[in-house]
Amino acid sequence: MKSTSFIFGLKQTARGLRQNALMSLASVLTVALSLLVAGLFGLITVNLGHLARLAEQQVEVTVFLDDALSDQGVRAVEAQLKALPGVTQVTFVSKDQALERLKAVFADDKDLLAQVEQENPLYRSFEVRTAQPAQIKPAADAAAKLPGVIKVNYKQEVVERLFRVTRAIRVSGLVIMVALALAMVMIISNTIRITVFARRREIAIMKLVGATDGFIRWPFVCEGMVLGASGAVFTVAALWIGYGWAWNSIRRGLPFIPLLPRQPLLFELAGLIIAAGTLIGAVGSALSLRRFLRV
Amino acid sequence: MIQLIDVTKVYANNVVALKDINLRVDRGEFVFVVGPSGAGKSTLIRLLFREEVATKGQVIVHGKNVARLRRSSIPLLRRTIGVIFQDFKLLPDRNAFDNVAFALEVTEAPRREIRRRVPAVLELVGLKDRAKAYPHELSGGEQQRVAIARAIVNGPSILVADEPTGNLDPDTSWGIMNLLQTLNRNGATIIMATHAKAIVNAMKKRVVAMDHGRIIRDQAEGVYAHEVN
Repeated sequence: MKSTSFIFGLKQTARGLRQNALMSLASVLTVALSLLVAGLFGLITVNLGHLARLAEQQVEVTVFLDDALSDQGVRAVEAQLKALPGVTQVTFVSKDQALERLKAVFADDKDLLAQVEQENPLYRSFEVRTAQPAQIKPAADAAAKLPGVIKVNYKQEVVERLFRVTRAIRVSGLVIMVALALAMVMIISNTIRITVFARRREIAIMKLVGATDGFIRWPFVCEGMVLGASGAVFTVAALWIGYGWAWNSIRRGLPFIPLLPRQPLLFELAGLIIAAGTLIGAVGSALSLRRFLRV
Repeated sequence: MIQLIDVTKVYANNVVALKDINLRVDRGEFVFVVGPSGAGKSTLIRLLFREEVATKGQVIVHGKNVARLRRSSIPLLRRTIGVIFQDFKLLPDRNAFDNVAFALEVTEAPRREIRRRVPAVLELVGLKDRAKAYPHELSGGEQQRVAIARAIVNGPSILVADEPTGNLDPDTSWGIMNLLQTLNRNGATIIMATHAKAIVNAMKKRVVAMDHGRIIRDQAEGVYAHEVN
């Protein structure tokens, strides 16, 4: 396409958007909202995945010891734990240390703490770390069979549940996104159809004087892409502001939930959203033109 | 240049617009197609630039059967045929210059070319000073001149006109006919469907008379209708 035609097409595009301003605005907002929903799903999925992976990396086995076990028995268990394959670190947690930790978590719950402090019900334990997440379960199973061990806890289940939730959200998010994409295509296609209809005379004359289909089509496709991309820009702005706000308040209120920082994540998502908006706009207008160009 | 061989056109509602038409028009000819409304004149004209496709038979323009053209080749055919209508078909939101330039823009002509050729054809049709006027500011005759300028700006070898003087008064019509005659002398092949009896009789060109979808008479230096004896 030559540059004069490119400019000609851009003028046509601007003409169409102006003539059809209200409908254009409506489709831009619809696209923005739909993409916003899609973007939120994306952010939630990515963060849950991040959370699950973090938890997976942190996995450790907590081995609780019977109160009746002698100090000698405790040392024997420690030696046996250290001998397990993959185990890199074994840390002893005394009853007092366990209590201190509990106090830190439930600092606000004075009643509970008072009760617990009277008679410490917490077990002594070993915290066992392995080199790789896969070595957790065998280590935990082996530890459970040692004499004097009454209970073994590890976070694998939490991690698995987290992954399951992430998968479920990702799948339902995809389904919703596909439905939204279809709706957006229809909305844009409808808007473009109105522009095409308003300019059917012009199109007919263009065809009479020998304009190719591509030449006639592209200003409309361009118009659709502008609609989709503008909607996407709104979405990106909303997500940028919203995520920043959510990130700050979660870090202050719920510091143990490690959200991904805004910087690389939202840039990538912004690119994706704008690309999706533009593509959807192009598809929508191409769809509405297919019928109209048969003259 | 143009040849129709056994052409029949039946519309979707089973109206037979053309029946076994055979016609040959050579380079540089000026042909009137006359006949009552519904005789098939417009359909014949529209077959030439493939606005319609023949149901049967061949329509050959520049040695090619237009019915067999690939979709992508249709625009190229249309660039070699200038088309003029009774209702001018100008774009109301563009001035005369831009209406003419439109035909070049869609062929992706360079801007330099547009600035050179549009004023030249506007001068040729006698509208040098009206380039900035919008269609509603122009008289019917002037509008038709703009339409003709648009039709010829691509330098087509064939001009087809469907009742070009149908909306114009006699004096204005003669202005348009003189313009078409000039274009014909400059080498354009012209096929014009018309009801304008006085014009046809005065110009003494080839006349193809149609009725009920058939050619009933084809006469060199003809007249609109035979004298009733």
